[in-house]
Order: sequence, then C-alpha cells, then structure tokens
Amino acid sequence: MAELIQETGKKCIEKTQIAVLSNVNMNFVIRMLQKDLAVYEAEGYGNELGILMNPASSYHGFAPEITFVVMDLMELLAGELEPGTAKDKIEGWFAQFEEALSQKQESGIFYLSDAYLWGVQLLVHADAGRKFALEQLWQEQLTELCRRRKNVRVLPYRSLIEKLGEENAFSMKMWYMGRILHSNEAQKRLCECILDKVRIEKYVPKKVLLLDLDNTLWGGLAGEADHTPLVLSEDHSGLAYKNLQRVILYMQKQGVILGIVSKNNREDAEGILKEHPHEVLRPEHFAVQKINWKSKAENIEEIAAELNLGMDSFVFFDDNPAERQLIKELLPQVAVPDFPDKPEELAPAMAEIYRTYFARPFVTEEDLNKTRQYAENAKRSRMKESAGSFEGYLKQLGIVMKRVDPVENVERLTQLVNKTNQFNLTTKRYTQGQIREVLASEGKRVYLYQVSDCFGDNGQVAAVVVDLEGEVPVVEEFAMSCRVMGRNIEDAILEDVEQDVQAAGYARLRGRYVPTQKNQPVKEFYPHLGYGKCADLAEGGTEYEIEIAKAPKRVYYVEKA
Amino acid sequence: MKEQIIALIEEILKVPAGTITEETQIEDVEQWDSLAHVMIIGELEEKLKVSIPLEEAIELTSMKELLEKAGC
Repeated sequence: MAELIQETGKKCIEKTQIAVLSNVNMNFVIRMLQKDLAVYEAEGYGNELGILMNPASSYHGFAPEITFVVMDLMELLAGELEPGTAKDKIEGWFAQFEEALSQKQESGIFYLSDAYLWGVQLLVHADAGRKFALEQLWQEQLTELCRRRKNVRVLPYRSLIEKLGEENAFSMKMWYMGRILHSNEAQKRLCECILDKVRIEKYVPKKVLLLDLDNTLWGGLAGEADHTPLVLSEDHSGLAYKNLQRVILYMQKQGVILGIVSKNNREDAEGILKEHPHEVLRPEHFAVQKINWKSKAENIEEIAAELNLGMDSFVFFDDNPAERQLIKELLPQVAVPDFPDKPEELAPAMAEIYRTYFARPFVTEEDLNKTRQYAENAKRSRMKESAGSFEGYLKQLGIVMKRVDPVENVERLTQLVNKTNQFNLTTKRYTQGQIREVLASEGKRVYLYQVSDCFGDNGQVAAVVVDLEGEVPVVEEFAMSCRVMGRNIEDAILEDVEQDVQAAGYARLRGRYVPTQKNQPVKEFYPHLGYGKCADLAEGGTEYEIEIAKAPKRVYYVEKA
Repeated sequence: MKEQIIALIEEILKVPAGTITEETQIEDVEQWDSLAHVMIIGELEEKLKVSIPLEEAIELTSMKELLEKAGC
C-alpha cells in the first residue's frame, strides 16, 4: 500500500517545476530533488531576495510553479542576537520579500520556512529566553504574511529540526567546508518534506474517513459491557483510544467527513456514542452512520450513493483484517490503510493517514462546513426516496442559486476548477496566476454560484469561465461540485450564463466537452440541453453550439436569488 | 573499513561499484565535485564515525590520502 501511495505520489509530481532558495548552501538538496522534480539551479545562495526581485533573473525565466524559501535565521541575523537589531533585520527581510512577491505577477506558490535559531553562541548567552524571542519575531511576520497572501504557506522546517535534534541536524564541519548547514540526514528529511508538500499541492485528497467501532474507536465490544467493559478512558489503552478520537476530531474540524460503518446492535453503539463519558466523537461529528449487520461493502456503496461521491473518495479504517481484505477486493478504489498492532500506535497512525490521504495545502471556509453539508446531503437522499417522484423531490428541496463575486472568492474558485473531476466539462486546470489573469481579463467572464435549499447552504459549488475573444463566446470551463449533482442545477446555471451572454450582445454560445476517465457522466451535457455539435477539437473532445434565442425550454426547479 | 568507505563514496557519487579504488585520484572522477566532496566528508562522519580534520579534508586529492587520514 505504501508503495502504491509512493508511486501515485511520484506520478502526480513528476513534471512539477520548483525552486529552492536559501541563504545557506542548498545545492545538495537541489541535486537530490532533481531525481524526482524539475528543480531550478540556483545561482549560488544568500541572494534569495535578489533572485526574486530581478525580473531578468534566470529564476523568472525558469518560472517555477512552487518556490521553497528555506531561511537560516542565524545567518540572516549574521550572528547578532540583540533584539532591536534582529527585529529590524527580520522586518526588513519580510518587507523586501513581500515587495518581490508583488512585483512579479506572483503566479507561483511560495513555501517559506518557519524559524529555528541555531548557533553555538546561544549556549553561552545569558538570556535563556533569547532564542525563543528571536524566533518569535520571525514567526509573527510569517503568520501575518500567510494571512495576507494566499499563495504563501509555511514550510515546517522547525519541526524537522526538532524531530531530528540539533546534534543530528546540524554539521559544523560541512558548514565550514562549504556553507552546508545541515547534516546529510537533515538534508534528506528536508527533501522528503519538500516532496510531500509538492505532492499535497498536486494530488486530489480523499473526502471521507469511514470508521469501524469495536476495537477501532474504542477497545472491547459494545453491548457486552457486563462481560467485557469498554476500553475508553483516561488510563492505559483506554487513553490510547481516547487520543485516537482526539486526532480524528481535529481531522473532522479540518474538513474530513466522518462516517461509521460498523457491525453492531444499533442501540448499543448509539448509546455509547451519545453517553459514554470518555467519548470524544459524538453523533453530530459523523455525517453518516451505518450501524447494522449488513456487509460493509454494501454499506459503503449506500454511503457513496447518499453522499454522491465516487469510491475513490473514501478511506476505510477497521481493525479486522478480514473486513479490510474484503473491501480491498470488492471496492478496490477505496483506500484501506493498515491497522496498527498496538494501541499506542493508533493516534500516530491516524496522523499519518491524515497526511497521506487528507492533507491539503490550505483549508477554506468551505472545508470547515463540510460535515454539516454532507449530513444535509444524506438527508436529501432520504427525502428523494420518500418524495415519490423526482420532480416532487426537486420541488420540495426549494433550491435557490445566486451568483457571487469570483474575485472575492478566488480560493474557492481555484479549488473548484482544479479539484473537480466528475462534473468538469473540459478539466482545464489553472495555476493561481492564470486564475488571476482570467479574472482580470476583459475577454473572459467568470461565474461562481452559491446554492442553498431547505436543508441548508451548499456553499459555492459551481464555476463557469466563458471566453469572449472569438466570434462566438465559448464556455471554456464548467465545473460543479459533485455534492449538488443530479438536481438539474447545472441546467439552470448554463441558462443563466446564456442569458448573461445574450444580454452582452451575443446571439450564440459554444460549449466544449473534453473526455477524461472521470467525466463520463457529463458527456451528453450540451446535446441534452439543445446544443448541436459544430466541431471536433484538435486536443480531443467536441465543441457544441446553440442559438440562444432558440434554446429549448429546460426543466428545473431552481430559483435565482 | 576500507570497503565500507569505498562503498559509501560510490553510493554518494552514484557510480557503479568498482569505480572507486584505493588508487583513484579525486580529479579523475567527474561526479566527485566540491559539493560531493563535502557530502562525502559529512557522511563518513555521520555514518561511519570517521572524522577527518577540517583543513586536511579540504586538501585531499586521492583515495590513498583519504584512507590514510581515515586511519585505514
């Protein structure tokens, strides 16, 4: 399994262009990274600001997608530990760095290291708090910068040094010989860290963590309390399970959807979830619960249908090797990580599952509301079953859609177009820079839609980009979150776009479909809405056209706000 | 120890086993540039606990000298 992750990881990052800039010698790190990535060959080191600021530098010619800036604080301070001077230097550096970012149209992503101040003079410094105080100056600037600039993220350099320990992370001899600050081991870890960040920028994270209950979320078996007391407490392995739950709760807060798939008597399990004094995870944390005696594969298929997600959105965590094997065989797209042998390994194993399958470069407001949205979705599915007809169901939902400003919500816009696979007509991907260009361009119109219904707010779920440069405007991208698929909302959206284009003086509109492995469900989208085929695209796919005034009447139950 | 040192150097330089011998001159090995040299000195210390004094490490020109300084 680990190999598989590594392989898919490698595949998704292989062509990525990156740069590593530093004020110490990183040439060996660059050399190691070149095995897996296209890495900019820096002209020496210690000129990171110069390289960034000079528009004619080879760095800008190389145009890396992601730039890693690894700064040694001691070198930046030139060994000067006076707080006033240090503050000036750090603030000065950040001011210049930000200046460099604004000069360039800043199309790339930047990872900037957090602070670890190291130097032998600290060992003889009278003020034991000085190290922390100086690091804090850097951290404050870094936090502020990340808040202001969405394309700047933290490279967790500090924790890398902490895990390894100063004695193993730094090498005096290599520093003196060639300004290489870090031991070979630390350089290898830095490479791993950089590769992992690139992977996280490029991959599609999983969405749902499916959990078993007995001997997974707690020790022992529910419903047999008289014979085998449940292991979930403040001591021994009971605490190990409690800690596992704490990690899972934080995952949920970061936008991971939780589900239960467990063979138990429902009342027994629910009783524990609601009332056990040491439960960290309560019923409201789970978007979906399948507590019954059916096969787990069947339950997972039901969940996939209820949440309208593909099987590749799920991670299944279960202590029972037979259950894991069955899921691997029956639902090969579901990720099934190994289960740790010992209770003390539970929490760290879960943190690793988070890093491998769920970590994302940044968390948006949308992510934080996910559980609620998916739980509402499951309710919608159940209503569909009881509504009798599909039409009756759509009417009952009371869907309202509204256009929102794409510039103000550029993060969500980027996430939608780049991470949507199923309902994505062209699967065109945009870098942050390209998105900004599109938004600023006179020749493009960008639409972002928010959708809500009687169960709640679905959030911003659809994005459309129309190119007006040609004789006939073309929908160059149409992406919609799979959580609102199957409610004819896309029909209402396209019609809204058609009307807007018509109001701008165009009589016709074109749309493109470029097939991928995932977007088969929208293959017939344009023909279905009355568009006629007008051309085959050179890059594969089909272009369709409609005369807007002659569009057929579409059937949908969506109100425009 | 000699074999271990040679194997480690070959690994860092990414050259086939047998490329480096006791007779190798550093300047004859294309991959053995100044950066690789620093990595070799660092790795000898980290992995094999072989410490060659700083000034001497900088001036090494051959495997023969390196092995001598390493105490083999």
